[in-house]
Amino acid sequence: MAPRVAGKPAIRAESGVMPLRYGDDPLLWAAWLYYEEGMTQSDIAQEMGLSRASVNAYLQDARTRGIVSIEIEQDRFRSLSIARALKDHFGLQDCLVIPSDGGERSLIERLGAAGAQVLTRFARPGDTIAVTWGRTMLALAEALDHPGLADVRIVQATGGTTGKIPWTPEACASRMAEALGARCVPLSAPAIVSSAAVREVLLAESVLTEQLGVLAEADRIILGISSLRPESTIHTSGFLDGQTQHTWYQDAVGCLIGRFISSRGAPVIGPLNERTIGLDLEALKKIPQRIAVAGGIDKVAAILAALRGGYVNVLVTDTSTGRGILTAEGYSDTSLRPPGDRQAVPLRPIGARTRIKKLINAPQDAVDESLKGALAAHERLIESLEGSPRVVVARGRREVAKVGIVIGGGSGHDPGFWGYVGQGLADAAVVGNIFAAPPPGPIMEATKAVSAGAGVLYLYGNFSGDVMNFDMAAEMAESAGIEVRSVVTTDDIASSPAESRAARRGVAGNVFIFKIAGAAAARLLPLAEVEALTRRANARTYTMGLALEPSSLPETRRPSFELGPDDMEIGVGVHGEPGILRQPLASADQSADLLLDRILAEMRPEPGDRVAVLVNSLGSTPAMELYIILRRIRQRLKAHQIEVHLSLVGPYYTSLDMAGVSLTLMHLDKDLTALLDHPCAAPALVVT
Amino acid sequence: MAGGLATDGRMEPAIDALGPAQIITLFRIISERMMAARDELGMLDGVIGDADHGSSMAAGFSAVLRAVSQADGPPGEIFTSAAHEFLGAVGATTGPLYASALLRAAKLCGDSPQITVADFPLLIPAFAEGITERGKARPGDKTMMDAWAPAARAVLSARERGEDPLSQMRAALEAAREGAASTRAMVASRGRAARLGERSLGHTDPGAVSAVILIEAMHDLLARGLA
Repeated sequence: MAPRVAGKPAIRAESGVMPLRYGDDPLLWAAWLYYEEGMTQSDIAQEMGLSRASVNAYLQDARTRGIVSIEIEQDRFRSLSIARALKDHFGLQDCLVIPSDGGERSLIERLGAAGAQVLTRFARPGDTIAVTWGRTMLALAEALDHPGLADVRIVQATGGTTGKIPWTPEACASRMAEALGARCVPLSAPAIVSSAAVREVLLAESVLTEQLGVLAEADRIILGISSLRPESTIHTSGFLDGQTQHTWYQDAVGCLIGRFISSRGAPVIGPLNERTIGLDLEALKKIPQRIAVAGGIDKVAAILAALRGGYVNVLVTDTSTGRGILTAEGYSDTSLRPPGDRQAVPLRPIGARTRIKKLINAPQDAVDESLKGALAAHERLIESLEGSPRVVVARGRREVAKVGIVIGGGSGHDPGFWGYVGQGLADAAVVGNIFAAPPPGPIMEATKAVSAGAGVLYLYGNFSGDVMNFDMAAEMAESAGIEVRSVVTTDDIASSPAESRAARRGVAGNVFIFKIAGAAAARLLPLAEVEALTRRANARTYTMGLALEPSSLPETRRPSFELGPDDMEIGVGVHGEPGILRQPLASADQSADLLLDRILAEMRPEPGDRVAVLVNSLGSTPAMELYIILRRIRQRLKAHQIEVHLSLVGPYYTSLDMAGVSLTLMHLDKDLTALLDHPCAAPALVVT
Repeated sequence: MAGGLATDGRMEPAIDALGPAQIITLFRIISERMMAARDELGMLDGVIGDADHGSSMAAGFSAVLRAVSQADGPPGEIFTSAAHEFLGAVGATTGPLYASALLRAAKLCGDSPQITVADFPLLIPAFAEGITERGKARPGDKTMMDAWAPAARAVLSARERGEDPLSQMRAALEAAREGAASTRAMVASRGRAARLGERSLGHTDPGAVSAVILIEAMHDLLARGLA
């Protein structure tokens, strides 16, 4: 026998005698030889002095008993388990799920490539394959390269569409035919004609009859699925205008082969039905193999509808979409996680507290009782408006024609919003219930109280409730002859991508933005100028937060979301809304870096630029931790040669008892620096 | 009001119009059910929002009930004061949305001392229009509209088919339930849940669930009145 490398037995033991290192476990012996030494089962049988069948049984046993565990890479495992669940749940012939993230190539390209692979697998000589249209179909055609099948026909499943898009039915079918070396059978008519009568006339044409005859013989169809969201293929193809959708297709959630289906998968019949030339849903179901290739989170409802309706029996999609479809069907996410991942699901120990302790009286009194306390504590600076207990106004306002600043939002952000009312800051704050916008009535009362003939600026965070209520109040103010402008703050960079800045929420950055607005008004600038400076402050303010523990409402006293014992939530909302991403708890420096890096990536400061910094507690995080964070932020900013003009550290804008921190940077310029330095005296912010 | 269980067969209307007392009863039913559903709605909301939907709806409708329980004006007046009470008590997003809905309902009732049984189902499209106008949500945005819009369409198409009022309400309720269930497959694109993106999948929208409670209350009121 040839000499073995070090670590392996140099001298083989006599056949059938187990080397000592395996103890007396033949399963371990067999498994070692098979998996580590790479021996064949018959060689092992010889070595162990057993039959090959026994070796096979030993190896099986070794797996069931966990002596051998085979690990499949997590991403692949996820794809496989989702594909299998989809196949079982919807009774599919087959299902392929690709990872949702895949480097440089877009999801559509990768879905196209996967679809091409599937088609290559199934296509047989002599097949007639129907094809629809859309971005994914074109990507599939472009990825396909499988010539050499004899007598294949590719037939368009519908007539043609507008030529304004590259992924027309004609283009998809002809590209696919080319890639398969197949004959292409078009449908020589538009997919949508102007009336049912025109359709009748066209259907009588022998060319079209013949082409439709080929379509009726299809063995397979490869189809895309379109959502009905505004940016979907069905809209870009000119199939549907907003009016038609509004009038006829409101129940539709998806579209395939140019036909519309409801969330249950039932056909939604509208005027287009009589005007569409091509396969219909009944005929579709008669095609033996129906391969859908579709992915993207916006398509979940549409794909689910197609699966429920039984229009599809092979599905190619991606993991996020697949998981979305399954969760929408009631699958729990945990059953789709790799086995090693399962312990990450927080298991509540028996007897653990589910009710959070709070020092309150009746929960429904908490807001008003707390506000009364705040007013008492700061009675020299603020007071409530007679008859409107939730309107806080600054004391000793001078009788000058100054722009009135009204801020506000839900309660639970203390010292927001009352803490920012005072000389040189906001003139009034209006608060609602906990985390709920105030109604228009009190906003209007505040408006009247602070209006001094120079107009009023409404300044609040971008939440749909606040926008609605402040807008209603603005309408009331306009009819009362008070000029009102509104600035909606959008500093929370985690709440929406940079391209849609206007959709972002307003959070702790409010503190700086309120300060700028208050100072601009205190300098008696006109309304338009106060508004412009406030908008500039908002555009240059960036906030991002992370939570270690959720907050809990006085009413429920339960955590508003679940966070595992070792997790933190990145990009958490200021109302206890879950964030955008959950990851294992990191150190203070790592957390500070994570927030700062995201902010700097958007802010793009030059060396020498100045910023104001706010390290804000979301409620329960103590000053000690905030200062550790600030220390790191200052180190990093110094390394970037960014000057810090002002550092605020503390609970400036909280979310009840949430544990966590938010970081705000305001990118200063000359005007903003001067306004930030303008004196103010409010309960939560004093500049002298 | 007449008691007894409704049978499945055609029901002979015991009444042909609903007056102030019945509208107050409607708000009493809604208020009780919102109280009962408060925790469940809060839990649903906690997954994708800030957990306040249950308490907002409960607090809002109990304020409405307190304000209208002694009212004796026509239904239109009751709906109008319900709108103002609800808005004042709730604020938030839900306040303006249901205030607009209730004002549309008031408009539908006009000054008439009663709302006929035949017109009663039209309250649902009226609610839906008020909400759409104020909220601007589109179908599929995963909001209360995903229950209200199909319910409103179900009423209108049942009317076109000449079905009786209770069948119209039944169609509305079924459509609303299905609509609410379909929000599980939707990605939130409005409101606070929007920031969650795909993580909002698989969760039913609490606003759609409370919409079903409202529609169910309207259905039950009519069913009781006709029993």
